[in-house]
Amino acid sequence: MQAVSPRLTMSDLSKNAQCVLKILENADSLTTSEILELAHTEEYAELCTDCAGGDAFVAAANQLVEKGLITKKFGKGGYRWQLKGD
Amino acid sequence: MATERGLIIMVDWKRVRNDFSALERTINGRPVVYLDSACMALKPRQVIDAMNEYYEQYPACGGRSIHKFGEEASNAYSASRGKFARFINAAQQEECIWTRNATESLNMVASSARLPKGSKIITTSLEHHSGSLPFVERAKRDGLDIEIVKAQPDGTFDIEDWKRAIDNKTSLVSVVHSSNVTGTVAPMKEIVEIAHDRGALVMSDDAQYAPHHPLDVQALDVDFSAISVHKMCGPTGMGVLYGKMEHLESMNMCLYGGDTVSDVRFENNKILPDYLPPPEKFEAGLQNYAGAIGAGAAAEYLQSIGMREIEKHERSLLEMALKRMLDMEQVHILGTDDISIKTGLVTFTVDTVSSAHDVATFLNDEFNVMVRSGWHCVGPFHYQMKIDPKMGTVRASFYIYNNQSDVTIFLEGLDALIEASS
Repeated sequence: MQAVSPRLTMSDLSKNAQCVLKILENADSLTTSEILELAHTEEYAELCTDCAGGDAFVAAANQLVEKGLITKKFGKGGYRWQLKGD
Repeated sequence: MATERGLIIMVDWKRVRNDFSALERTINGRPVVYLDSACMALKPRQVIDAMNEYYEQYPACGGRSIHKFGEEASNAYSASRGKFARFINAAQQEECIWTRNATESLNMVASSARLPKGSKIITTSLEHHSGSLPFVERAKRDGLDIEIVKAQPDGTFDIEDWKRAIDNKTSLVSVVHSSNVTGTVAPMKEIVEIAHDRGALVMSDDAQYAPHHPLDVQALDVDFSAISVHKMCGPTGMGVLYGKMEHLESMNMCLYGGDTVSDVRFENNKILPDYLPPPEKFEAGLQNYAGAIGAGAAAEYLQSIGMREIEKHERSLLEMALKRMLDMEQVHILGTDDISIKTGLVTFTVDTVSSAHDVATFLNDEFNVMVRSGWHCVGPFHYQMKIDPKMGTVRASFYIYNNQSDVTIFLEGLDALIEASS
């Protein structure tokens, strides 16, 4: 089971949250719309199935912030999200 | 709650607000501004008390048990149906079927209404997915035709489109009475007149209309109406299907089992059921008694305020919000700004951010303003308006517990968002 933090494994997270984490693993930081666009690509098709309206997906991203796994920062154009550094 | 002075009804809106304990909360030291009632309305103490009373005082099966608890549960359950029938002015309370939500009500009609072979169903591009998909699937199942009436870009309908679409082949029209995206109110009376003139039934999706406007199913002459109780201050997992008795009687049953039968005989090694008339034929198995009692309490609560007063109150808040938003050049409102044909909600996008979800997240994080972002389960209208559904739109919806201070904080939040994202 892949650990995402000392107390969490991937299977503890919702599928949407796992999708956000996977996408952010492969990037430095991304805007909300960039994450949503990537979630729709073939690369993430298996994991990212609930992103048609975007809302459940961004709610999952916000939960990851609450869990301390990613950060978000608001600025020009909206939010940028990235994995939390060690 | 509402007091009458001559012809003027006075509502103490501060007192109404005090009925909602969720609004007593503060988050990060700030008050909560709840503008997501089009999704889920908050619950007043009166509704919670009515449900708690069932659970605490007489938590029994209705209809069957002879003991005192059973008698009280049966009486409360039946009384709630009566309260709901009065709320929508149904001719008889048996025309109100308890369901889980408006979606289930719509699905029941779509799957079970008797529609002739070769006939046509009509629905619109503005429907919630729950108002369109059950009929799309019914048409597919039985090889019926389906025609879509396109909403105008401002969320209104051109009555000429209805006159063209509804023909003598049309068996059923499913139309959203008040849109959960644009807030526009459909010209239901005219649509019903055209449909009935051509022999078609009308299914009215009243999920967004019933909580906010006076709904008189007899005056509108709709054949069916679908209502979600959780949007009208009632419990979650409760809805109502209204149907004219003649149509409910002719509809096929959806579920079979306990409480739907007058007799189940055993003859010649065969099980032979005799089914009850509506509403029982549609309410198989143990019912959500607490939910139904809460639904009745919610209907009674809203009526004690007055539906006409509620409509006026929401529109006054909407007017205040729209006045300022129309001056914000970065904000684009989806749907008409004519409040006389709107429910109290506004849906919009903001130019300075690429996603509606950024607006909802920012307002929540920085101002405790709770709005909804997404496609609101109305994909077709977003595609029609060339709005990428995944980037979505933002919806702020007003209800009885909101006040001018809520609108002010919401507008301050929007100003701050635009400044920070420009």
